[in-house]
Amino acid sequence: MATDVRQEVERSESGEQGVGFPLTDIDLRRLLFGIGGIAAFVGLWWVVSLFQPAYILPSPVVVAETFAAEAASGEMTTALGQSVRHWLPGAVIGTGLGIAVGIALAWSPLVDDISSPVVRVLRPVPPLALIGFAIAWFGINHAGAAFIIAVGAFWINFYATYGGVEGVSEELLDVARSLGVQGDLQQIRSVVVPAASPEIMTGIRTGIGRSWMLVVAAEIFGVPGIGREILRASNNLQVDVVITYILVLSIMFLIVDTAFRAAQRRVLAWR
Amino acid sequence: MAIDDPDASRVRVDNVGKQYTGSQGPVQALEDVSFEVEPGEFVCLVGPSGSGKTTLFRVVAGLESPTSGTVSLNGTPVTEPNADMGIVFQEYHLFPWRTVHGNIAFGLEQAAMPADERERRVQHLVDLVGLDGFEESYPKDLSGGMKQRVGLARALAVDPALLLMDEPFGAVDAQTKEMLQTELLEIWEQTGKTVLFVTHDIEEAVKLADRVVVMAKDPGRIRDVVEIDLPRPRSRTDEAFGEYYERVLELVRA
Repeated sequence: MATDVRQEVERSESGEQGVGFPLTDIDLRRLLFGIGGIAAFVGLWWVVSLFQPAYILPSPVVVAETFAAEAASGEMTTALGQSVRHWLPGAVIGTGLGIAVGIALAWSPLVDDISSPVVRVLRPVPPLALIGFAIAWFGINHAGAAFIIAVGAFWINFYATYGGVEGVSEELLDVARSLGVQGDLQQIRSVVVPAASPEIMTGIRTGIGRSWMLVVAAEIFGVPGIGREILRASNNLQVDVVITYILVLSIMFLIVDTAFRAAQRRVLAWR
Repeated sequence: MAIDDPDASRVRVDNVGKQYTGSQGPVQALEDVSFEVEPGEFVCLVGPSGSGKTTLFRVVAGLESPTSGTVSLNGTPVTEPNADMGIVFQEYHLFPWRTVHGNIAFGLEQAAMPADERERRVQHLVDLVGLDGFEESYPKDLSGGMKQRVGLARALAVDPALLLMDEPFGAVDAQTKEMLQTELLEIWEQTGKTVLFVTHDIEEAVKLADRVVVMAKDPGRIRDVVEIDLPRPRSRTDEAFGEYYERVLELVRA
């Protein structure tokens, strides 16, 4: 039976590239162009810095020296460790709550009707405006900074998840019911979450990036970390130190984002 | 789930009416529709577009509730989709995040079947629909015909009393369609499932069905029921086949 399957597969696979991520010519080309772009940017920076005093724009060489010195002195790792202590719990809690609340509101019209006025009032409040609450509720510590980061991550994940869940097709849910899926929790677990996973993953990824940005804002009121170092150096016009710690943030973001993208591609291999 | 009682798969549609509120006022999509599908019977539902055959399908499947009348499966009123009926859609509606294996196993996981038994059942169904070697493929990598094989295997997995199919072969090419029809008949003969099959293709209906329910429009209702008294496999070049075809066609056009 079904002797035509091979033939059908050939038809459906004819336009397909291989799976996996081989380093093809195109990847190599993009890599070279990317390196070229960075080199050009640094070159331009260097040229401009020749005509500026160091407190306006230090040269890349000076920044590299400062970077090395900060790394060697242990200042950098200490600051990074401090930041991670509120970045990680903030991002994790904000992401988790955002996804959970997003699913609840998008799934249940009742919950949505009750909550949406509150959501609309709270949504435009920037996380920075909540610093007073962070200090009052948690104090000038990691918990307070984590709160600010969590608020930022929450909204991104909330909206991404909400949109994803709203887009889940009714037909898939019909099919699932005809296959014995009953009740809200079972439908959410077996259909809604996997069907909305591309949007949820995009939300998580965007939220992670936003969380790194918020590290600076969250440390504005005195919590130690990379953001604190940037603010302190700014006040002292140590632009080379400012750039050094901005680079640390960028590198951290790059590492986490690359790792997450790899995980995302793995989880969403079905797309 | 597993049905030993032959009466279990009897479908009774009793005086079903369905009214929609359209932009031009109320629309009577179905009016006084009554028929039965006997256990193990293969019934096709045909009719011109607008005759409410898809609406009727959705009501029988429990996807929509009728405005009046009742639908019952084995004497139990149908109010929502449940594991007693396997639904196969024209657009497949496979779970894209699951492999072929995962799609077929879906209903068995819900039923909490032991893993080894589930594996055997999935493998049996993979064989039945001829998808050996594609267990780990995702739906995006399958052709239309293969997707519908998965859809059929997924529906059969939970051993439903009734198989409901809404133009299942409407989206595949003619050659694949014919092959799938033949396979469906083989599977039907093997499993003895009761089948309600919606199609707009009269030739398909005459080829497959024990009985063809012909619907008419404005309002959607049953015009007539034609019993196809031909041995299978049926050939469309057969003279008697042609006569049945003409008769159903006339009823559809009337």
